[in-house]
Amino acid sequence: MIISVRGIGWLTQEGYGCIRSELRQAYENGEGAHTLLKKDIFSHPFKNFGRLDTISKMTAYGVSLALQDSGIEYSPLRKQDIGIVGTNAEGSLQSDIEYFRDYLAGGRTLSRGNLFIYTLPSSPLGEAAIHFGLLGPVLYVAKERHALTAVLDTAEEMLLASDAPAMLAGAAEADEAIFFVLARDPGWDRPVLCGLEEARTCVEANPDLRGLIRKFSGMAARKG
Amino acid sequence: MKPVIVMADMVTPYGRGADACWQGLLGGKTALSRVTRFKTAAFHSDYAGIIDGLRYHDGASLVMQMMELLFEGVVIPEDAQLLLATTKGEIDLLEQSMLEQKGDAADAIVSRLVGKVSGLTKTTGTGLVISAACTSSAAAAAQAAAMIRTGHADCVLVVACDSITEFIFSGFSTLMALDSEPARPFDKNRAGLNVGEAAAYALLMSEERATRENRPVLGTIAGWGLSDDANHMTGPSRESEGLILAVSKALASAGILPDDVGVISAHGTGTLYNDQMEMRAFRAVFRDATRPVYSIKGGIGHTMGAAGLVEMIIAFHALRARKAPPTVNLKCPDDDALGWVSDHQQPVREQTVALVTNAGFSGVNTALVLAHGESSEFSVRPALA
Repeated sequence: MIISVRGIGWLTQEGYGCIRSELRQAYENGEGAHTLLKKDIFSHPFKNFGRLDTISKMTAYGVSLALQDSGIEYSPLRKQDIGIVGTNAEGSLQSDIEYFRDYLAGGRTLSRGNLFIYTLPSSPLGEAAIHFGLLGPVLYVAKERHALTAVLDTAEEMLLASDAPAMLAGAAEADEAIFFVLARDPGWDRPVLCGLEEARTCVEANPDLRGLIRKFSGMAARKG
Repeated sequence: MKPVIVMADMVTPYGRGADACWQGLLGGKTALSRVTRFKTAAFHSDYAGIIDGLRYHDGASLVMQMMELLFEGVVIPEDAQLLLATTKGEIDLLEQSMLEQKGDAADAIVSRLVGKVSGLTKTTGTGLVISAACTSSAAAAAQAAAMIRTGHADCVLVVACDSITEFIFSGFSTLMALDSEPARPFDKNRAGLNVGEAAAYALLMSEERATRENRPVLGTIAGWGLSDDANHMTGPSRESEGLILAVSKALASAGILPDDVGVISAHGTGTLYNDQMEMRAFRAVFRDATRPVYSIKGGIGHTMGAAGLVEMIIAFHALRARKAPPTVNLKCPDDDALGWVSDHQQPVREQTVALVTNAGFSGVNTALVLAHGESSEFSVRPALA
């Protein structure tokens, strides 16, 4: 069985885009990830988007662009057996600090449930699963180095074990994100960007996200 | 390749060793107690599953103290790949940094814990954190089994841990999830969960390697299924379709039929909605054909990221002894659980497998299918508690 990449969505501080469909959009003055919601980046309204923590918002944008790039449509009425595995550098550290600071400010008696929810590193992935109707495995993985490679490895393992027919795999930080759509071949009727091995080699050689986007964009351009 | 378990153990509120937990559950006595580690007057409960003797905000983190107890005298193969399952890891280090300006909040980043556990277990293989809310360690066990089944690894150490801290306790209290009394899973009068702390490990090998090294086989993870409700961040689905999907995947992965399942270790938190959701799923999958269902959370509380692995190890005990432990604190079974759960031990049919289910925030679900091994020697060392 072969695992291949069907689409990639990304965001940096400079802009956002999709690799296979060669969409590359630079932010104009005053724009940034905080203005993306106005760009109709989601196919239907994201319920309570404003209350999401920063990593959850970046995850949602990255996943939306990756699904768009791979031609996968989604709606609240049609859930799909697609899983999601993700990583980042600090887990839920910023949300942990925010929750506990708020709790201390309240005299160590009351805290806010809405802040507590995001103290799980898997919560941003869970928010994405809910909005995009993803019924497959939801998993956060982390390691001190080469975490994005570990994410691809974990997703590959799940596909080989038939945990789901397709997986989203990626990383989301406060200012950048990248998500891949991976699927088994044959068995998933979508265009192929590249094989997983090729993608893994790219990821290992390009620890910087901008370099990685350039590399994959070049690959997509060559394929036409 | 077939993934088999060759070593496993735990530290729980019942004390050190899987046998201490098993015997405590069989005896029907709870290990839940009143929390004295921090002030609880502002919270909805003061009950939790606490491990005696741990020092709070004093030296090593709570989970590292548990790990030291867990791995004392245990030899793990150096080349084992490490999967560390946790939800909040060393969150007490963050508390300390913010309360006492001691240390750095970033010391609580979960990926930093992997290096400490690798050092303690002297493993040099890849180390990875796996976190999926309260299904973390069940998901890690499934991933370990997948790595072996696909031939990508032949020795994987799954370690799970979570501790009781003010951070965690206040959060669950805010969500109105805590029972002010010891938790009563599947009881008509259940009113919530109690959190608990635990650490556990399981060493998985390919059957070939276990045979080559003459290891006793304690059991097999025969199949697994993972899913998400895609429904709500904190509440389970009212239709149970996520858990039904996970169980269906697990049965298919194991190549068995529902009738082959002889006993079910449920997530059974004691919250109204979780227990209801699980019983609805079991009735759908098993078409109302009853079989023993139990929850261990009335005994040790909800041990969060460690729950799945602790429950998997206890389920192997149940298969070996061919009896399901009583659901501790159960007095009056809820209507939909009648005939499935019991406050007494229940016999388990021969030649059957165990199903272990877990669920968590974000709507995650896991189901593991376990088959008993040949060894009657389960714990790697006698219980010391």
